[in-house]
Amino acid sequence: MNPVLRVRPSGGPGGPLLDVRSGPFLLRDLVADPSLGRHRHRAGPLARPSLHGLVEDLAGADVRGRGGAGFPFATKLRTAAEAGRRREVVVNVSEGEPASFKDAALALTRPHLVLDGAALCARALGTRRVHVVLPGDRPGVAAALRRAVAERVQDGERLRWRLHTTDPGFVAGQGRAVIELLSGRPNLPVTAWAPEARAGYRGRPTLLSNAETFAHVALLLGAGSASYRTSGTADEPGSRLLTIGGESGRPVVVEATHGTPWRDLLDEPVLDRPVLVGGYHGTWAAPGALRDLTLSRTGMAAAGLTLGAGVVLPLAAGDCPVHRTAAVTAYLAGQSAGRCGPCRNGLPALTDGVRALDEGVDVSARVGELTRTVTGRGACAHPDGTARMVRSMLALFGEELDAHAAGDCTYRHADALPGPRSRR
Amino acid sequence: MTARLRVDWPACQGRGLCFEVLPELISLDEWGYPVVEGEVPRELLGLAREAARTCPTLALRVVDAP
Ligand code: SF4
Ligand code: SF4
Repeated sequence: MNPVLRVRPSGGPGGPLLDVRSGPFLLRDLVADPSLGRHRHRAGPLARPSLHGLVEDLAGADVRGRGGAGFPFATKLRTAAEAGRRREVVVNVSEGEPASFKDAALALTRPHLVLDGAALCARALGTRRVHVVLPGDRPGVAAALRRAVAERVQDGERLRWRLHTTDPGFVAGQGRAVIELLSGRPNLPVTAWAPEARAGYRGRPTLLSNAETFAHVALLLGAGSASYRTSGTADEPGSRLLTIGGESGRPVVVEATHGTPWRDLLDEPVLDRPVLVGGYHGTWAAPGALRDLTLSRTGMAAAGLTLGAGVVLPLAAGDCPVHRTAAVTAYLAGQSAGRCGPCRNGLPALTDGVRALDEGVDVSARVGELTRTVTGRGACAHPDGTARMVRSMLALFGEELDAHAAGDCTYRHADALPGPRSRR
Repeated sequence: MTARLRVDWPACQGRGLCFEVLPELISLDEWGYPVVEGEVPRELLGLAREAARTCPTLALRVVDAP
């Protein structure tokens, strides 16, 4: 048994490493043996839930999607069931957000938990086919899932697994982009006129969610589910995965039950720094703000924070939140698929604005206006997420913006790092 | 059910023919892309449908919103 397992999402030697810390449920008793035999030994045989039973179970435990939006999974399942007969199940392991590694961690340590969850949903929906969407830029993750699927086929599981691989890039993992990929079209977001649970792949009801969500479904129905159901808080049972950005650049994936204080999750110096919560589409938390908060969707929302897909990025020592926001905005502008006018024009304009702020030009009114202009005006939520992140910087770091306007930067001074500040 | 205007963003080419038909509900952003907000009042429904028909790329739709 190993408290921390070190894995390599990129596969092969030499790629960046990822630490996966043992946790209460999804990441319990991590060993470097993700085989089906061992999984069955732990988790027991696959249940055969009725649709009604599964919907009740999911609603009772308030299982929500772990891709970012936090939509109740029971509602999704019920919608798909009611929308028509030829239903599709899609497990999205592609994690468009490059700072997120939670689904990668699951794929590399407990792939069969993820596939069990999808198989259970397929059984309940009366379909034999399950699509698995693999990340094109993480070959190690893709290989782990291929192996796991091959094991299940050899084991005689009567499901037809269909594997697909995304293009690299931030928006390739977005739901509609994934459905386009399945349909043999370019792997880019398109306008959704109806939720995919009603009309997704080939216009059929499609139950699409990320790997972690399906793993929670498997936990809920598997051996030891009683303790899972009573864990967490009364409002939010169970646990969730977080990817915490590390000082060394090596992220760590942890599992924590809802209600866990952030003080127990983050190191002491990190708690006193700004933290970008929810990833690149997330919101900045002020220094110290997480000290009194717990891991809870509602509690975080009350503090104006979104957990998103669970990415937590503490600001590195000696970095400045304004500078960092400019860098992330520039990155996100570069990740736009460039097909929707407001996103194609708005994100570069936003990048220029935030860069100007970093350089001490007071254009915060213009930047604020741009965040409103791009929001809600694209085929996907990429502009909305980018705008949210920038807006949270404006809301939180007004004093820092004043300092920049006066030709100063508190953060770089406070840490007294050697060397001049890179202004350009 | 109320009606709303929605834009298929990858299809929209800007330039704003829709704006010329329905300036009451559509404005243009600084790059010439339509800003459509709120519900379509009953008395403007006819014009909204016309704006949708006018769009050269059929990027504008009148949809039912709950
Ligand atoms: S909103 Fe932006 S990222 Fe999303 S599809 Fe349109 S252009 Fe691409
Ligand atoms: S007429 Fe159509 S293509 Fe032109 S701006 Fe309006 S919605 Fe876009």
